[in-house]
Amino acid sequence: MREITFTAAAREGLAEEMERDPTIFVVGEGIGARGGNFGTTLGLYEKYGGMRLNDTPIAERGFVGMCCGAAMTGSRPIVDFMFADFILDAMGELLNQIAKIQYMSSGRLKMPIVLRGCIGIGNSAATHHSGSYYSIYTHIPGFRVVVPSTPYDAKGLFKTAIRSDDPVMFLEHKSLLNLKGEVPEQEYYLPFGKANVVRHGEMVTVVALGLMVHKTLEAAALLEQEGISVQVIDPRTVAPLDMDTVLESIHKTGRLLIVDESFAPCGIGAEVTAQVVSRGFDDLDAPIARLNGAHTPTPYSPTLEAAVVPNTETIAQAIRDLLKE
Amino acid sequence: MATEILLPRLGWTMQEGTFGEWLKRDGETVTVGDLLYTVESDKALNEVETLEDGILYIPPDAPKTGDVIPVGARLGYLLAPGESAPSGHADIAPKREPLSPQTAVLAPSEPIDATLPRVAPSQPIPAPIAKSIGKTIAPIPAISPRAQRIANELGVDWAHLRGSGSSGRIVERDVRAAFEAQTALSKTAAQTNAVEAESGLHNALPQVRRVIAARLSESAHTTAPVTLTTEVDATELVTLREQLRADTAAQDPFPTYTDLLAKLCAHALLEHPILNARFEGGTIVMGTSVHIGIATDTERGLLVPVVRDVHTKSVRQLASETRPLIERARAGKATGQELGGGTFTITNLGMFEIDAFTPIINLPECAILGVGRIVSKLIVIDGAREIAVRQMMYLSLTFDHRLVDGAPAARFLQRVKELITRPYLWLVGRE
Repeated sequence: MREITFTAAAREGLAEEMERDPTIFVVGEGIGARGGNFGTTLGLYEKYGGMRLNDTPIAERGFVGMCCGAAMTGSRPIVDFMFADFILDAMGELLNQIAKIQYMSSGRLKMPIVLRGCIGIGNSAATHHSGSYYSIYTHIPGFRVVVPSTPYDAKGLFKTAIRSDDPVMFLEHKSLLNLKGEVPEQEYYLPFGKANVVRHGEMVTVVALGLMVHKTLEAAALLEQEGISVQVIDPRTVAPLDMDTVLESIHKTGRLLIVDESFAPCGIGAEVTAQVVSRGFDDLDAPIARLNGAHTPTPYSPTLEAAVVPNTETIAQAIRDLLKE
Repeated sequence: MATEILLPRLGWTMQEGTFGEWLKRDGETVTVGDLLYTVESDKALNEVETLEDGILYIPPDAPKTGDVIPVGARLGYLLAPGESAPSGHADIAPKREPLSPQTAVLAPSEPIDATLPRVAPSQPIPAPIAKSIGKTIAPIPAISPRAQRIANELGVDWAHLRGSGSSGRIVERDVRAAFEAQTALSKTAAQTNAVEAESGLHNALPQVRRVIAARLSESAHTTAPVTLTTEVDATELVTLREQLRADTAAQDPFPTYTDLLAKLCAHALLEHPILNARFEGGTIVMGTSVHIGIATDTERGLLVPVVRDVHTKSVRQLASETRPLIERARAGKATGQELGGGTFTITNLGMFEIDAFTPIINLPECAILGVGRIVSKLIVIDGAREIAVRQMMYLSLTFDHRLVDGAPAARFLQRVKELITRPYLWLVGRE
């Protein structure tokens, strides 16, 4: 099968959907003729022009508000934030209008909007360009929150996001954008709320998101040489969250580690933990462990930056520690 | 504000102490550095000084001399002048210590003293012992929810397991190991044969062997075994057995020497209950019943089928029970129930012309009696005025010195010897 990058796969999904549905348009800074800071819309401007690839000034709250109105009146906007950190500038529109409008209108209005942007720590992007924040959106009723980890998932989930009548946060880890992977030529969609068991194992379950899926797979390969068999689960979407797959795995292994480079307090790991304790208590053979990024604004210094995120070795050690519990 | 006087941890491994005495009177004013009370821990008697000034208040339910109390237990209070005794002082429940969950869950109970007063033969068991029988202050170990579920599913009694989790928690692997050990011993011969047929003799046999190895090495490494030997005149016992054998009226099988010894050991064990105790999780558990294990040589290795409630059964009853039980064990058909729960073990090597040996204690029991061959000897009797041919036998008693000291164990063996020499003593009953 052919291999393409994460960004190319998502872009291919976008192109297929734009071709199919003329009500889809993209809004963002530098996504027109430039093709997006990360190449998210590369080549599409030439095909669909400035009406459907709409460059904006730096005014997040304004263009998010306008896209909210556009979605209410029947079109399907995609807001490309470049860095997901700046979604926060439109928080009022997001939480009070976009997330609620379907409920406020008793379902008469739909909100088919996709809000995409890069997340994650890396490349000395410093604290204004390193946030993940998916747990904030997961906390709010109304949003779908997608955190893909492979080119295949990126395309399949992005197409599903565009087709969704609910608002979708599509959050791409910046260190994965150039990752190559197999993506079929034929069209496909991936459902929300269906976790992917990316590695099968017997002794411990690790739930990991985004870039951490890959770091965990490296750690699992390392631990295999020590005779430790690790099952790795990538939820792919955190809202909805596929707990059944996680619980099924814990029924087998009895032990759970959650690896998430985002902050620990009130994070995805806390939510997974609470649900496992409530639904899978009798399967637990050890306390649930979490490995998170440090609870601090991300430093600029490469040395300090590397120290605040989990890496292959710290993940492997966390798994070893968990097995000793 | 009243200051609590709590039992401190005086050594790294200390979990409880035996209260000695107050060195100050109730109501006496004490100052920092004054010696307040004594407590015994790990065989050392410690004088504990006060870290605060105040007026000593000893509540009515404070520990008494000899009470075993957990680390962190409240012993009393130091009050400021004019301050009244705090209410709700009643419990001496331990303060929870976050780093040692095992001490935190100790339930206050009647203390059980390891060095019990010797019970004179033919006397009822004194009240304090009778009261403590069947009770235990063993700490309840922590267990993971999963391990507990699996223990329930497999029918494994986890209360006495040793956890391999980092904090001593019992986890799934501990329960599964216990279950395997349990089933290895109770597998039927048919199952064993099936295993043999499938995987060959080399795989089938070491399974039981591994369990035996694990149990005996645990015993050898954790007990403080001492073996006492004595030679006993078994002439009357031989005569008794011959009479029983000659009793043609009886339908039942006639008793073996092991049956007779089990019966008279049960008699002696009731008089010396400490030899009938079990050592569990650092505490002594004493039962009112005598269940005697009979070490049995089988093709698969050593098994110890247990005859229950020996003290309540007649010798005839014992004979009719032990034979089929031993046969079941030899055939590999004994259940796990029949192979566990003993309080004392008898191992007889007389048929191999062995005189004396050093048996290994069958954990968690306290003692095991090794029986040698009965052999005719010329013996000087009756104040050295007569030489006679007597039937002589050696007894080898191995006991766990952690539970019982040499003298009480010797007294027990002496009593067994006496009962063998004059077996009619127990035939007439205990009163």
